[in-house]
Amino acid sequence: MEELSMKETLKAGDERKVEEDFFQYIVIRLGDEQYGIDIRYIDNIVRMQHITRVPKVPAYLKGVINLRGEVLPVMSLRVKMGLEADELTRATRIIILKQEQQGSVGIIVDEVREVVTLGSSEIEKLSQNTAESKKSFITGVGKHNGELISLLDLNSITLEENA
Amino acid sequence: MDVSQYLEIFLDETNEHLQNLNTQILELESDPENMDNINEIFRAAHSLKGMAGTMGYKRMQNLTHDMENVFSEVRNGNIKVKPEMIDVLFQCLDALEEYKNNIQETSDEGTNDNENLIKALNDILNDGKTEEAPAAKEEAPTATAPAAESGADGGEKWNDIAFDDSQIRVIKEAMKQGKNVYGINVVVQESCILKAARAFLVFKAVEEKGEIIVSMPSAQDVEDEKFDKDFTLIVLSDYSLDDIIKSAESVSEIAQVTGAVLELEKTKNYHAEEEAIEPAEEKKEAVAEVKAAEQPKKEEKKPVAAAKAPEKKPANKPVVNRTVRVDIEKLDSLMNLVSELIIAKNSLVAASSNDQGNNSAFNEQIEYLENVTTNLHESVMKVRMVPIESVVVKFPRMIRDLSKKLDKKMELYMSGEETELDRTVVDEIGDPLMHLLRNSADHGLESAEVRAQRGKPEQGSIFLDAYQDGNNVVIEVRDDGNGIDVEAVKNKAIERNLVTTEQAANMSEKDIINLLFQPGFSTSEKVTDVSGRGVGLDVVKSKIESLSGEVEVKSKWGEGSTWTIRLPLTLAIIQALMVVVGGEKYAISLGSIQTIEDISPNDIKLVENKEVINLRGTVIPLIRLTEVLDVESTRSPEDNLIVVIVKKGDKMAGLVIDELIGQQEIVIKSLGKYIKQCKFISGATILGDGEVALILDANALL
Repeated sequence: MEELSMKETLKAGDERKVEEDFFQYIVIRLGDEQYGIDIRYIDNIVRMQHITRVPKVPAYLKGVINLRGEVLPVMSLRVKMGLEADELTRATRIIILKQEQQGSVGIIVDEVREVVTLGSSEIEKLSQNTAESKKSFITGVGKHNGELISLLDLNSITLEENA
Repeated sequence: MDVSQYLEIFLDETNEHLQNLNTQILELESDPENMDNINEIFRAAHSLKGMAGTMGYKRMQNLTHDMENVFSEVRNGNIKVKPEMIDVLFQCLDALEEYKNNIQETSDEGTNDNENLIKALNDILNDGKTEEAPAAKEEAPTATAPAAESGADGGEKWNDIAFDDSQIRVIKEAMKQGKNVYGINVVVQESCILKAARAFLVFKAVEEKGEIIVSMPSAQDVEDEKFDKDFTLIVLSDYSLDDIIKSAESVSEIAQVTGAVLELEKTKNYHAEEEAIEPAEEKKEAVAEVKAAEQPKKEEKKPVAAAKAPEKKPANKPVVNRTVRVDIEKLDSLMNLVSELIIAKNSLVAASSNDQGNNSAFNEQIEYLENVTTNLHESVMKVRMVPIESVVVKFPRMIRDLSKKLDKKMELYMSGEETELDRTVVDEIGDPLMHLLRNSADHGLESAEVRAQRGKPEQGSIFLDAYQDGNNVVIEVRDDGNGIDVEAVKNKAIERNLVTTEQAANMSEKDIINLLFQPGFSTSEKVTDVSGRGVGLDVVKSKIESLSGEVEVKSKWGEGSTWTIRLPLTLAIIQALMVVVGGEKYAISLGSIQTIEDISPNDIKLVENKEVINLRGTVIPLIRLTEVLDVESTRSPEDNLIVVIVKKGDKMAGLVIDELIGQQEIVIKSLGKYIKQCKFISGATILGDGEVALILDANALL
């Protein structure tokens, strides 16, 4: 019974949504742009704290932090994406990403805004060609309330580049 | 019978016996007449057979049975020990090992009957033996000494049993029916580990022949190992006393079984029946243990079902066990907790020194806490330490096999087997050591002709020495063989494009020898199945480095080589010196620090454009950590330098730092896989204030 009524309400609201997959993204700000990170890969969001520098590592690796007794590497998303260095403000946060292969890693973002739910119809995948032509960290673009959210490709961000 | 609860102990004991057999047979080979050896082997084989039989591993039992037969004949002097026989025996041990591994993995022994081995054993038997049939089956373990000793007090213990009413009724009833009532005293061997299991088997064996009506201590207590080394049974049976004693003796590790026909009049409390020692309930269990099928009595029939329950119930066994088996994972988590505790303690220390409260009681308690955590840490570390013996004990056998295979005479001399290392390290160190030993046997030792030319004894010697050196454990593999042919190594390296000809010309002998540790390097002209596939030494090196250890080789052409493995004693928590470099805090392991010196800038000399100091006659190169770590020094160049002198093997260096903080116990945390580029950072640690400090690996800086 309940299921039926739910379907009906959904139909009444938006017919397409019945067959749609939904994804939740955390929306972050980096400079003037908005990015979305798939919530399934996020372990934690912590305030900016003292980062211990590690010598002889790529510039985007800012160092390590102590997260409840665990030592975690932290990288600057800005430096990795070729933007100017981080400006630390009160809104700056470190997002801890769960990674299967390499262990957890933290990324520094300017601000964490909100959680949005996007249906697959609201996500526009980037074609392979654009992704290849320039090193891209974006898998697609989501549309939400008239704004565009670039969806981050966490694999290519956390992947080590030895260039 | 449910044996699964004994499986682990069975595997452990099997391991032990197999190892024992390996060692003994090896000794037997060099000294075929040694009766002690033969007896020991016989005993081990016999125990193995008994255990395998108990656990229901028929194939294993058959094989050990035949081995035992052979030894029995050897012991009786009917067969002489011959080299072929030793070979067969070793093959048998390998087969048993295989059974054991199968059992370990699947709790099933597998389906390999090893008929050829059994046949080989029987051939040995038939060859060396005259007509008489092997009497091995009847043989009881030869533990004459303990038997004689316990004979006196083992005496007529059954007369001390205080029977209660119903028991006496049962006994009288049985006597009336013409059954025999025996008192049996069973003495377990002193060395027996699984007393309860042995006793259980005795119970079972005796029950096949009769009915146990009373046991002292009670059946439950016996099962819980709440007995010293003997127990007493009152048995009703149609069989003769000898039969029953024999069936009890058939259980292994039973030292002695004595018995006699019970005379009620002689027993204690015969008239004072009410003074029963055992509570009625326990006695019922004893009665009920009996398989009452053929017994027409009413008393037992009802409790049978009830009695099976307590038999299987997991017993609380607090009494005799002095050791506890612990999953290594549990120890790891304990270790982690201790680490956390030390971090918390460090925070407290930091907090107390910050607010200068001069609260002496508070400081006292912190010192006390410091004491406790340090001791706790040491205890936990000790729990994890095991002697390397468990790894190296298999090597003599391996060298023997290699000796046959390579057709070279060689002998392995080992020392320091009792040296202890962290369990995880011990588990990992076996393969690298095996590689090095095989290397020595195959490449190191020369053929007999070459040895004769060089005036060396025909038999090559390989040494394995382990000892503790400060915070490290050193394991050396040494041989008196060929040594490393530096020229051959050099040519091979050039041929394999590992170095250019010019590079090679400028390399020191030591550098060239170190090329051996490069991946894909093998100088042996022919590839044998012993070594020479070029996968050896680089694997050895990476394995040992993954254990935070290092490996070095020294060699003299024509005289032999020495491989030295150096491993840290502990992996997780170390004493470290905290220093400041360019405003950042770093930790340096105290183990590698020799001294701390105050050096005037005028004392710095230049050698080959590198800074050195002359410290009490030793020239020591300086390493400016500010340069290594890419930071600006906070000290002015005119100030005196603080130099930490570190040592690795015979190499020394002075690390120039900005400030000293002091000594601290630190917990090593990994930097994760993400950051792996920097060689001289061995990890990180969390300081009392929650900050992360990096740990400098002084060895990598040298």
